[in-house]
Amino acid sequence: MIIESRELPLKHNISVKKTEKYWKGLEEGKIYKTVCKNCGKEYSPPQAECTFCRCETDWVEISGVGVVEAFTTIHTIPKGFEWSEPYTIVIARFGNVRVMGWGKNVKVGDKVRAYTAKDAAGVWKVYLEVV
Amino acid sequence: MRKVGVVGVGCSKFGNREVTLQELAFEAVYEALNDAGLTQEEIELSVVGCVGTRTYEFMPAVPVNEYCGFVGKGPIRVEAACATGSAAIYTAYTSIASGIVDLAIAIGVEKMTEVDTATSNAVGGRAGNYLWEFHQYGTTFPAYYAMHASAHMAKFGTTEEQMALVAVKAHRNAAKNPKAHFQKEVTVETVLKSRYIAYPLKLFDCSPISDGSAAAILASEEKIRELNLDAVWIEGVGYSSDTSNMTRRENFVGLKASVQASRMAYKMAKIEDPIKQLDIATVHDCFTIAEIMAYEDLGFCRKGEGGKFAERGESDFGGKIPVNTFGGLKAKGHPLAATGIAMIYEVTKQLREEAGALQVDLKNYRGLTHNVGGTGHFAWVFILKR
Ligand SMILES: [Zn+2]
Repeated sequence: MIIESRELPLKHNISVKKTEKYWKGLEEGKIYKTVCKNCGKEYSPPQAECTFCRCETDWVEISGVGVVEAFTTIHTIPKGFEWSEPYTIVIARFGNVRVMGWGKNVKVGDKVRAYTAKDAAGVWKVYLEVV
Repeated sequence: MRKVGVVGVGCSKFGNREVTLQELAFEAVYEALNDAGLTQEEIELSVVGCVGTRTYEFMPAVPVNEYCGFVGKGPIRVEAACATGSAAIYTAYTSIASGIVDLAIAIGVEKMTEVDTATSNAVGGRAGNYLWEFHQYGTTFPAYYAMHASAHMAKFGTTEEQMALVAVKAHRNAAKNPKAHFQKEVTVETVLKSRYIAYPLKLFDCSPISDGSAAAILASEEKIRELNLDAVWIEGVGYSSDTSNMTRRENFVGLKASVQASRMAYKMAKIEDPIKQLDIATVHDCFTIAEIMAYEDLGFCRKGEGGKFAERGESDFGGKIPVNTFGGLKAKGHPLAATGIAMIYEVTKQLREEAGALQVDLKNYRGLTHNVGGTGHFAWVFILKR
């Protein structure tokens, strides 16, 4: 015998004030990392303060050509992405940092460039395209 | 610091279980109490491990603790993703080693089948850093290990066939373990022909979604002598962790936290050559690539040679070191918080020569448990000695 629990849909309001530059940047085609003003440590994903120096970081645009280090294509689609066909997640290195994004037909070692776009659900994100 | 021993172990049948969370926990607790010959009254502290993200009970420690008969003896609830069971063991261990209590129980329980698969995937996909990963890119849990597999294959030439061999071994062992989720052997062909979940990982490369529980009772040396209990001693403990964001990792061909946790445990247990000094190992094979990386990260073989290690049967019965003799997470099942304690259960049974058809040969009477949380977000290693 099964008893169905009462329904409790969960949706959270996430405060991203400190990283607003990143989220707004995506809408302008810019992808940011941050660099510690004191020790020079680079953060991607970006954070507004350096964990170790406890000081502010500078916002620096990531550009140029990256190299694919890992990827996968998701065939078992999770809740939240029901609208999508199988999609490919790529991690590529750009200098001292890495960026995650969606891509197509990639393999490890491929050179990629990053751009931003809205997905079919209206979320802005990074795409990595083989060059 | 006092010596601590495992004096009682219990493990439920893993699989799709038609019981509540607390009823499931009690199955393991009941067996552990009987195994130790102890009663609830004698236990001074209970530690309840439960990830709890797929069950209707959001704060599960109290109902589990009550049903198992430990009201007033804790509970301390711990959570370390898939390594929750090991965190529970560590909490019980340190409580005893420090002299605060003499007898403690670590309980690990998970109900994973109360939600549908798409929801389960969305929950598991949050085992990283939600905002920067799942929210934007839909990283499922298999995706994290699949990305490691892609890097391992590219760098070392590891093949899907080698990964399949890990699954074949797991299923062969689980077929002889009545508590395992699957009791069916599979062929390399079946594994290779199964559908992709997250390329290059296929259905048979992945551990199933299982309900299950495990429990272990730990005691101080004084208590073990006083009550004349049969103990398997905790000789080494190691732990580590890594970044929540995948993009911030050192590389994708291994889990640094596993390397660090194992070296810490080896140092404490004075292990210089794990292959020679251990008779049995349980490693965290939530996916077949995870077992291959574990061989390397734990020092059973050199980095990059894990695929060949599996191919040569070195991790099978009669090999250099039998690994996951009860079927591993892959075929026995992986009810998150139960897993780390089920590993302690397996090694304890092996060292006591109570493993029946799955018994390994013992030379050193020493075994290892290696339990990873997330994708190397947490790592725990215990060394047990009889
Ligand atoms: Zn700094």
